[in-house]
Amino acid sequence: MQLTGENVLIIKNFSLSLANKKLITDLNVTIENGQVVSIMGPSGIGKSSLLGFLSGTLSSGLNAQGEVFLNDVAIHNKKAQDRRVGLLQQTPLLFPHMSILENLSFAIPARVKKCDRLELAFEALEKVGIKDKANATPEQLSGGQQARVALQRTLLSEPKFLLLDEPFSKLDPALRRDVRAFVLDEIRKANIPALLVTHDAEDAKAMEGSCINLDAPE
Amino acid sequence: MPLKSVRFITWLVAILLAIPVLIGLIGTLLPAFHYFPPLGEYHVTFAAWISLLHSSEFYSSLRLTLATGIISPIIALWMALSILAWGYQRPFFQKIENLLAPILAIPHAAIAIGLLFLLSPSGWLMRLFSPWLTGFDRPPNWITVQDPYGLSLIFAIIMKEMPYLLFIMLASLHAIDARKTLEVCQTLGYKRLTIWRKVLIPQLYPIIRMPIFIVIAFSLTVVDLALVIGPNTPSTLAVTLFRWFNDPSLSKRFIASAGSIALVLVIAFVIFGWEMAHCFFTRLTKAERSNGKRSGPTDYFLRLGVVLGLITLSSAFVSLVILPIWSLTRRWRFPDALPASWTLDNVQHAYPLLLELSSNTLIIAIVATVIACLMSALMLETKRLSKTTKNHPFDWLIYVPILLPQIGFLFGLHILLIQINLNGTLVAIIGLHLMYVLPYVYLSLKGPYLAYQEDYLVQANRLNNRPWRNYFFIKLAMLKPAILTAFAIGFSVSIAQYLPTLIAGDGRYSTLTTEAVAQAASGDRKQVGSMALLQAFFPVFIFWLAHALPPRWTKWRLSIYLRIKKCYKQIPKQSLK
Repeated sequence: MQLTGENVLIIKNFSLSLANKKLITDLNVTIENGQVVSIMGPSGIGKSSLLGFLSGTLSSGLNAQGEVFLNDVAIHNKKAQDRRVGLLQQTPLLFPHMSILENLSFAIPARVKKCDRLELAFEALEKVGIKDKANATPEQLSGGQQARVALQRTLLSEPKFLLLDEPFSKLDPALRRDVRAFVLDEIRKANIPALLVTHDAEDAKAMEGSCINLDAPE
Repeated sequence: MPLKSVRFITWLVAILLAIPVLIGLIGTLLPAFHYFPPLGEYHVTFAAWISLLHSSEFYSSLRLTLATGIISPIIALWMALSILAWGYQRPFFQKIENLLAPILAIPHAAIAIGLLFLLSPSGWLMRLFSPWLTGFDRPPNWITVQDPYGLSLIFAIIMKEMPYLLFIMLASLHAIDARKTLEVCQTLGYKRLTIWRKVLIPQLYPIIRMPIFIVIAFSLTVVDLALVIGPNTPSTLAVTLFRWFNDPSLSKRFIASAGSIALVLVIAFVIFGWEMAHCFFTRLTKAERSNGKRSGPTDYFLRLGVVLGLITLSSAFVSLVILPIWSLTRRWRFPDALPASWTLDNVQHAYPLLLELSSNTLIIAIVATVIACLMSALMLETKRLSKTTKNHPFDWLIYVPILLPQIGFLFGLHILLIQINLNGTLVAIIGLHLMYVLPYVYLSLKGPYLAYQEDYLVQANRLNNRPWRNYFFIKLAMLKPAILTAFAIGFSVSIAQYLPTLIAGDGRYSTLTTEAVAQAASGDRKQVGSMALLQAFFPVFIFWLAHALPPRWTKWRLSIYLRIKKCYKQIPKQSLK
């Protein structure tokens, strides 16, 4: 895991509108290393579009403005693949035709040598606590395990910052608490800024960071 | 696919699809009006048309073509609808459903040859009932196949087209929510067949209109089936034209070209007439649909269709069973129900020929289908990226080669092949096969490809930025079942091609299909049986693979993958269960 230290994500004056209808105006956020800032609001407010803007995959039709800095470097003009962003979605999106180990090692940068990749992937597997499932396919894992593997996979790709798009919403309420704690713990270990989008106040509370409430536009 | 310049690629592919069609049409149209530079004819005249319209063979052929080409689709549609209405949701029917794909995969020439062996005066049917029932010691002097009315041809066409229509209908059923409609109407007290007749079939028809047109075009223009089991003198128009095109005196070509244009007009005319008849029929039955009667005497019409349809399906099976019997026969005298002695000699004897034919067939089919799969993926990706859901040029352009009659059109293209010196090469054969394989591969891949959840690929590119690699190893790998099915369909279409191989091959390359058709009527039944058997075997085998491989693939791959990996020692053993 990288421990470079200086990662700070700053969002300046972010505004979002859809066909002259203002959804978000002048949003300013600063996220420090190992910190998770939550954004809450009703659906349709543009939470996911904010993540799309940050990751460089905003769908057309929306008008977004604002600046994003990562360690004082502007990234909002960069292409998606140059932003070094990790995104975790509602569905874990583990590739069904690959084993868990392959899913994990898929994300490890190409410069890492063959045997080291395998070792890294295996370490990640141990963190999830399913050492014995290396050669299993994703469908053989429970929902909670899949969510954890998905997080590990994203972290293995060495992102500079992490975006979480309601990653807990599809989990059982009983599981949710464990997975939340696991995610927070791993983000702190990875020491990168993270932004969580959710409509569940419990999620935001569990992340132990500041929480921004977006209100529906008038 | 990380494509750039989507519009450019769209146009390029569209032009690539259109060029052979245009050249084929021009190559038929110009000779029809006596303009044919290769033979030194530069003057546009109507001479070919005049001699065509004065030839009595044209009229008798046309009459046969109209009869077989109109009656077969009607009966095939009737049987397919009846079987669907009767069997939908029945457990027994699901077994038939599973058998449809392999039946469809079998080249129609193979089934026709089996049918020939079954129905001819010395065929299996007669043997099974002789002499105890019929009293015959020798084959009777009847005409049962290749009859002058085209009845056996109609039967063979129905045998091929009915399963196809049934397959298409089953695939379209989800669009009309048949299950719920049945439930609702049954609570209203309607009988099952009446519901289908009054409610479901009228909804289903518009969805399957295009496949029906394909069936009509096929029935009007088929050459290989008609050569095997159709009437002889006169034959159907497509076969008559085929003979004229192959006539040693090249001047026949003009009349043949004019006849081909006439055949195109006939297709357009019949399809138009079909739609008019459908409109008329809908008007006629509209009032009856809402008259509140929960059952009606016309239900028996569907019931009869079921019986006839099942008889047709089972004859298709018997026709296939008879192929291996003939290829293993040593001696089979007439009234015996089975051969008196069996042998592998026929196969051994024909081995060098069969090997050559099989390898030609397989090379052509595999190369053409692989190209078709790649092209379909490219076309679908540009379609996905262009985001215009309606009237994308590919969606109608792709139908043109299947709706045009092969006869004429392909001879028009043949001129081009001669001009660019590709005549009689494998490249030319594969090119012509591709024209007919591509539409079916494209159409079968379209649904699953466009339904793919693109999030997986986006996530993959976010995790490691290798878009091309990810396209193949994530997207295409996840679409494996659909791609393999599309491959199997394309493969079977290629195996079944007769005219494209014959025309582009120029006699230098033969496949199982061309050889089997050429020898079907005249040749040695033992050898023809082996060819037709192989012809049927390859597609069925590929279909079986396409069905059996995907669910096991990952499991098998994983069970060997880590063991051959260099660094596998670094992983604790218990984690590799």
